[in-house]
Amino acid sequence: MTEADTAPTDRPRSRRSVLAGAAGLAVATSGCVRQVRTVVNREDVDQLSVTIVTRPADGDREGIRLARAIADVLEAVGVDVAIDMRSNEEYLRAVLINHEFDLSVGVHPGGTDPDVLYEALHSRYAEESGWQNPFGYANMQVDELLEDQRRADGDEREAIVADLLETVAREQPFVPICVPEEHRFVRTDRFDGWGEAHPATRLGYLELEPGSDVERLRTAHTDARPSENLNPLTAEYRDDEPFLELVYDSLATERDGEIEPWLAEDWTYDDGTLRVRLREDCRFHDDEPVRAEDVAFTYRLLQDTELEDEEGTSPPPRYRGLAAAVDAIDVDDELELELELDAGEAVAERALTVPILPEHVWTERAESATVPGVRVAQGTTEAITTDNVPPIGSGPFRFESRTEREHLTLERFDDHFTRREDVALPEPPVEEFRVGIDPRSTSAIELVTGDDADVTSAPLETYVLDDVEPDPETAILESPSWRFYHLGFNARRAPFANPRFRRLVARLIDKAWIAEDVFDGYAAPTATPVTEEWTPAELAWDGQDPATPFFGTDGDLDVAAAVDAFEDAGFNYDDGTLRVRR
Amino acid sequence: MYAEVLTQVLTQVAAVVAFLLVVSVAAFVGRERLVATVREWRPRVRASAPAFAVLLVVLWLNRVMRQAGPGISERIGVHMTETFYDLEGEFVLVFQSIATGELTAYFSFIYVYGYAFLLIFPGIAYFALSDTRAFRRLLTAYSLNYVIGLAFYLLVIAYGPRNVMPEELTVTMLYDNSPEYQHLTREVNRNTNVFPSLHTSLAATVGIFAYETRSSYPKWFPIAVVLAVSVALSTMYLGIHWAIDVVAGLALAVGSVWLSNVLVGRRSIAELRRDVARRLPDRDDRE
Amino acid sequence: MNCDSTDPGDGVSRRAVLAAGATGLVLPTSGCVDRVESAVDQEMDRLALSITTVPADGDREAVRIARELEANLEDVGVDASIDMRSRSEFLETILIDRDFDLYVGRHPAGFDPDFLYEALHSAYANEAGWQNPFGFANIPFDDALEAQRRADGDEREAIVADLLETLAEEKPFDPICFPEEHRVARTDRFEGWSADHPESRHGYLGLEPAENVDRLRVLVTDSRISRNLNPLSATLRERGSTIDLVYDSLATEHDGELVPWLAEDVTLERADADDDHVARARITLREDCRFHDDEPVRAEDVAFTYRFLEDTSLGRAEFESPPPRYRGHATAVDTVDVEDDRELRLGFAAGVEAARRALTVPILPAHRWRDQIRSRAEDTTSFTATQGEWGLVTMDNVPPVGSGPFRFESNSEREHLTLERFDDHFTRREDVDLPAVGVEQLQFGIDPGSASSIERVANDGADFTASMLEAHALDSVPDEPDVDHLAAPSRTFYHVGYNTRAEPFSNPHARRIVSRLLDPSWIVDAIFDGHATPTAAPLPEEWVPDELGWDGQDPATPFFGSDGDLDVETARAALESAGYQYDDQGRLRL
Repeated sequence: MTEADTAPTDRPRSRRSVLAGAAGLAVATSGCVRQVRTVVNREDVDQLSVTIVTRPADGDREGIRLARAIADVLEAVGVDVAIDMRSNEEYLRAVLINHEFDLSVGVHPGGTDPDVLYEALHSRYAEESGWQNPFGYANMQVDELLEDQRRADGDEREAIVADLLETVAREQPFVPICVPEEHRFVRTDRFDGWGEAHPATRLGYLELEPGSDVERLRTAHTDARPSENLNPLTAEYRDDEPFLELVYDSLATERDGEIEPWLAEDWTYDDGTLRVRLREDCRFHDDEPVRAEDVAFTYRLLQDTELEDEEGTSPPPRYRGLAAAVDAIDVDDELELELELDAGEAVAERALTVPILPEHVWTERAESATVPGVRVAQGTTEAITTDNVPPIGSGPFRFESRTEREHLTLERFDDHFTRREDVALPEPPVEEFRVGIDPRSTSAIELVTGDDADVTSAPLETYVLDDVEPDPETAILESPSWRFYHLGFNARRAPFANPRFRRLVARLIDKAWIAEDVFDGYAAPTATPVTEEWTPAELAWDGQDPATPFFGTDGDLDVAAAVDAFEDAGFNYDDGTLRVRR
Repeated sequence: MYAEVLTQVLTQVAAVVAFLLVVSVAAFVGRERLVATVREWRPRVRASAPAFAVLLVVLWLNRVMRQAGPGISERIGVHMTETFYDLEGEFVLVFQSIATGELTAYFSFIYVYGYAFLLIFPGIAYFALSDTRAFRRLLTAYSLNYVIGLAFYLLVIAYGPRNVMPEELTVTMLYDNSPEYQHLTREVNRNTNVFPSLHTSLAATVGIFAYETRSSYPKWFPIAVVLAVSVALSTMYLGIHWAIDVVAGLALAVGSVWLSNVLVGRRSIAELRRDVARRLPDRDDRE
Repeated sequence: MNCDSTDPGDGVSRRAVLAAGATGLVLPTSGCVDRVESAVDQEMDRLALSITTVPADGDREAVRIARELEANLEDVGVDASIDMRSRSEFLETILIDRDFDLYVGRHPAGFDPDFLYEALHSAYANEAGWQNPFGFANIPFDDALEAQRRADGDEREAIVADLLETLAEEKPFDPICFPEEHRVARTDRFEGWSADHPESRHGYLGLEPAENVDRLRVLVTDSRISRNLNPLSATLRERGSTIDLVYDSLATEHDGELVPWLAEDVTLERADADDDHVARARITLREDCRFHDDEPVRAEDVAFTYRFLEDTSLGRAEFESPPPRYRGHATAVDTVDVEDDRELRLGFAAGVEAARRALTVPILPAHRWRDQIRSRAEDTTSFTATQGEWGLVTMDNVPPVGSGPFRFESNSEREHLTLERFDDHFTRREDVDLPAVGVEQLQFGIDPGSASSIERVANDGADFTASMLEAHALDSVPDEPDVDHLAAPSRTFYHVGYNTRAEPFSNPHARRIVSRLLDPSWIVDAIFDGHATPTAAPLPEEWVPDELGWDGQDPATPFFGSDGDLDVETARAALESAGYQYDDQGRLRL
C-alpha cells in the first residue's frame, strides 16, 4: 500500500529531472559540436604518397636502381614513395596505354631529331594511348613552339628548337637524366662491318660483310618480346630492336642522322608537298606487288586504325607524330604519289620513315578487336592488338618461324630491291637471320664468346661492361646513343600538373652522381631530351644541370635546402612530411 | 526587429487558424461531446499526459537540432540533391504546366494555414472523445513522425526543387510570391531538410487517423482527406519538395500510424498503474 | 596463334576471363591472355564533371548559370552534375578542401588589380584560403604577377594588360559578368544614402538619423555574421565589410582612393634605387586611439598584425601557418619598423599602387591574439597549426575586440548581430575630417531572401538591405517616396573556376572549350535581367586592353553558338581537335 501511495509522487519528480538532464545535454551537445570543431582541426591533409612505376631488375637493372635512388631522395623530403615493378609489357601498358601511374622511371626512345618532342609533348595527344604524350602534359606555349619547329627549316628551325628546349627545361614535363652508352658484344671472325651503321637500325645489319661460308647470322637478344609479337603498332612490345625494320620497308631510311631513299626511289620536296616515286616491281613477301596505294593506306591507318575520316579516331600508339604531319595523299599512279604535309623539309623527310604495311592484309584489321567473352574498350582495333604473326612486309628479310620466348627466325627475301644490281644499297648479308632469346646479359655474352651467337643485339646493361673481356675474336661495339633514362610525371594528377613541383623534384636528382653510381660511368648526364648537336649552349651539361641544379653535392642531398625550396614554392609541411591535397 | 516580423506572421496565421478551428469544432465535434469534455477533462489529461510529454520533448529536441543539426549533418550526412534530381528528373515541373494564379493562391493557403489547421484540429477532436486512445495514438504518431524525420534530416543533405531549378519554378514559388512565410518556416526547418516531407507525412497521418475514426467523425473524414492530399500536392506545386520526398513522407506516415497502434495500449498508463496498484495487495496477501 | 573469336561478350570481367585462363579451361596460350589485356586494359571512363555551387537560397543567379553550364556540358557528351552546397560549405569545399572539378561563384575581387596576385600565383596553389583556389601554376605568369606588383603608372598598366591577355588564353577561371549592386533604403529615418559605397565604412558613417531614431536596422541574407566574426575565416566572410566596421585599418578605400583612417598620416612612395624595398611608407597613428576593451592602440599592434598575417602561429608551430585571407595584402609588406608608440615605417615588396592594399588590413589587438596563440600552443605537446584550418582561424571570435567605429553589442545565431557605436572612436573627434557615426545602434537582421527583404523595408520593418538584391526580386521594389533604390556597378564578378591541379582542367584546352559553352551576353539578359555587364576580363574597363574588350562576345573564348543556343556540332568538333574522343553513343571519354 505504501508503495502504491508513494509511487505516483516519485514519478513526476524523476520525470522532471530527466527532462532537465536532457535539456542540459542537448544544450551542451550543440555547443560541444562547435567546440570540437574549432579545437580539433578539420580533416588533416594527408602526406603526399606517390607510386613510381618501373621494371624489375630482370627487365632493366639500371632502371630499378634509378627508381630506388629517386625514391630515396623523395622520401628524404617527406614524400611517401612506393615502387611498383612491372614486366616489360605491363610497364609500357600502364604508362603508355592506361596512364595509370604517378611517376615512371624508364627509358625514352628519344630520337635523332627534336621532332620526336612533338609527339611526346603536344597537348592534343594528352588523351591518346601510346608514345604520344603519355605524360598528359598540356602547355599552350610549348604547343606553339612544337608546331613552329615542325614547319621550319635550317637556322630558323635551330633557333625555334633552342627556344623550345629552354621552355621544356623550365617546365620539366619529364626529367631527362642521362644517356646510357650503347654497347654490344660482337664476334669479329665471321662478319665484318660492325658499326658501319647503327646496330639498332636495318642498315646496321645490312652493311655487314659475311666471311666465306657464313650463311647464318645469329643474335642473342635479351628481350623475349620480338618472339611474341611482331606488330609494328603495338607499343608494349616494341623496344629498340631492328627486326621489324628488316621485315618492313619504309619509304626512306636513316643513316647517321641523314634521311636516304629506301623503298622510294627518290622524292622532291616543294613547300610542303613531297612527290614520291616508288621503286618498280617491289613485292611483299606474299608476292603481292607494292603499290602507291599501300603507301597511302599506311598513312591513313597510322592516323586512324579504324580508317574512318570522322567520328572518333582510333590512333595507333606508335608513329602518331610522324603520320600526323601528313595532311593529304594523292595517288597518281601505281608508283607515284604526292604527300601534302604540314611540315618543313626536315620533318617531312622524317615522315617517310614509317613502315609500309600491305593494304590487302591490314584492311580487315581496321575493326574492333574481339576477344571471346570480354567487352572490349571502344576504339581498340585488331590492327593494334593483333600479334601479326606471320608479318607480311616487303623488307629484305621475311618471317620464317618463331617459338615464343625462344627464337625468331627470318630468312632472306630474294626478290628484295637491294639485291638488284642497279641498286646501290646494302643487301641482306645472309640467308638466315636467327634471333635467339636469352634474358640475361651475362649469358648472352657467353653465347657470343662460345660462338653460339654473333652479336648481342640488345644493348648490354652497364653492370656487365666492366667484366666483359673480349678475346681476339670478339669485340665490344660502341654506338651512338640517343635513348635516355627519364623520370616521367603524370601531369593529369595533382601535384604533378604544377611545374614548380616538377622542377623541385628534378633538383633532387644528382644526374652526374647517378651516371657514375647507377651506370658505372657508362652514361652521360643530360639536361635535355635531344642529342648534343641540338642542345643549345645554355643547356649543355657543364658539371651540373644548368636548368635544375642539384640541391647538394656528390650524391648527397641537402635536405634542409630542398625542404626550404619546397616551402618557398608554397608546399606545406606538417610533422616533417610533405602535405599535398590530391 | 526580427521578432517583430515573426510575431506579425505568427499572429496572422494564428488568427486564421483559430477561426477555422472554432468553425470546425462547432461543425464536427458537436455539443454533446464538448459538454462531456468539460466534465472529464482532468482524467483525460492524466491519461494522455505521457504521450503529450513525449511529443513536447520531441518538438523541443527538434528545435535544438535546428541549430546543432547542420554541424552533425556535415559529418555524417550524405549529399543527395543530385541523386534525387537524377532519379526523379523534372517531374515536379508538371505542376508548372497547370499553374494558375488561383491555384497558387489555393496551394499557398493550404501549405501554411491548411496544414496548421489540419494538425491541430484532430488533437481537439480526439481529446473530445471519451476513449483517449485515439488522442494518445495521434500524439504518439506525431512524435514518431518527428523523431524518424529528424534522423533522416541528419543523414540526408538535399536541397529541394526551388533551390535547384529556380528559373522553372518562378511562377509558383511560395517564397517569391509570399516571402513573409519564409520567416515562419525557417523557424521550424532548414532548406537542406527536404527528405522526407514532414508536411506530407503529418498530413497523411491525420488523414489515416481520420479514416480510422470515421465512425466517430464521419463528416471529418472526407474533409481531412481532401486537405491531406492538398498538402501533399502543395509541397510539390510550390517547388519545396521532390516527389521522392512526398512518397517517403507517405511511407513515414503509414509507419508511424502503425507503430502508434503497437505502442499505445488500449489502456493508458494511468489506468495501468491503477490496475497494478490494485493487484499488488493481493500479492502481499498471498505472501 | 590467334584466339578464335566468338561473339563479343557482354561484359564478363577481365578477371573472370583470366582466372578461367589460369585454370587452363578457356584460354590455351599466354598470347591469348596478352591479347585480352591489350584489348581490355584500354578502358576509358566517361568524362564526368561535378559543378559546385550554392543553392538558389544562397545565390539564385549562380545556380542558374551552373544549370546552364550543366545542360551544355551534357549536350557535348560530358556526364555533368551539380554539387549543391550551403554558402559556407561551398567556400570550404573550394577554398579549404579544394575538392572540386569546377565551380560557379562570385569573386570578391579588390579595388586594385593586385588581388590577382594571390588569386593566381603558384606559390599559393597549395595553401588553403582565397589564395589560388584554382591551383594555377604557370611560371611565366608568376613572373608577370610579380612584375605588376613592383611597377607603377604606365609601366604597370602595360604589364597588367599583358597579364589579362595571358589570363584570357590560359583561363584558370572564366569571368562571366559584373553584376549590378542593388539595394533599397528607407529615407524617412536616415539621410545620406549613396549608391557608391553602401557596404563600406564610409557607407554607414555618413548617415544622418532623423529625430528620435537611435537604431539603424539593416537586413542581410547571410547568417554567417550572426555566428562568426573572425577576420581570418575564409569560409565565413564574404567581402568582410562587417569586419571593417568593428576593426580599423591604417587606411581605407573610398571611391578608389586611399584615405588615411587609423593612421593620421600616410606617406607612401617609391623607395630609392639602392633600397631593397620597392616602396616605403611612413605611418603616424592617430593619438589616443583605443580598442573596445579600452587598451590603447599602439604601433606595436600594427607590427603584430602584419607579422600575424604572415604566420598565424607567430613562429611557434613547426612550420609557418599563413592565414586563408589577406595573404596578398600581407606578403606585400617586407619589413615593419616600430619607431615609437605612434610612428612606423613599412618597407614593401610592391610598388605604390599595389602596396595600397596592404594598408587596408584590419589592425588586431596584439594582447588578445597573442593570448589566444599562447593558450592554444600550451594545450598540446606538439603544436601544429594546420594552415588555414587550425583553431585560431576557425574560432568564432565573438565578441570581437577591435578599434573600429562600432563595437559588438549582442548576437543571436541566425537572427541578428547588433553593434553599438563606439563613442571613443576617432571619427567622433571634432578635429578629424571624417564622417562620424550618427546612429547609436546598428542591427543586422538575418533575412531569408531578397523578396522578403524588400518587403520588410517597404513595410518599415527595416531601413536598409545590405546584401545585394537578386535580379529576380528587383521588380518588387516599390515606387515610394520613402524608399530609395540604390544601384551601382560592382567590381565583384561571377565566374567559372577550374581546378587546374588534375585532369581534365590541368589541360588549358579543356578550360578554354568549357568556357566557350557559356554565352555571357545571354546570361546577362536572361538570368540577370540586364542588371549586369558581360566581361572577358576580371578587371574594370580602364585596365582591359582593347583586344579583350567585350564586343558582343568574349574575344578569347567566344561562345559556340549565338544567343544562348549552343551549336553542339561545333563544340564537339572543337573537343575532338583538342584530342578528346567520343564513343559511338556520343559520350565524351577521358
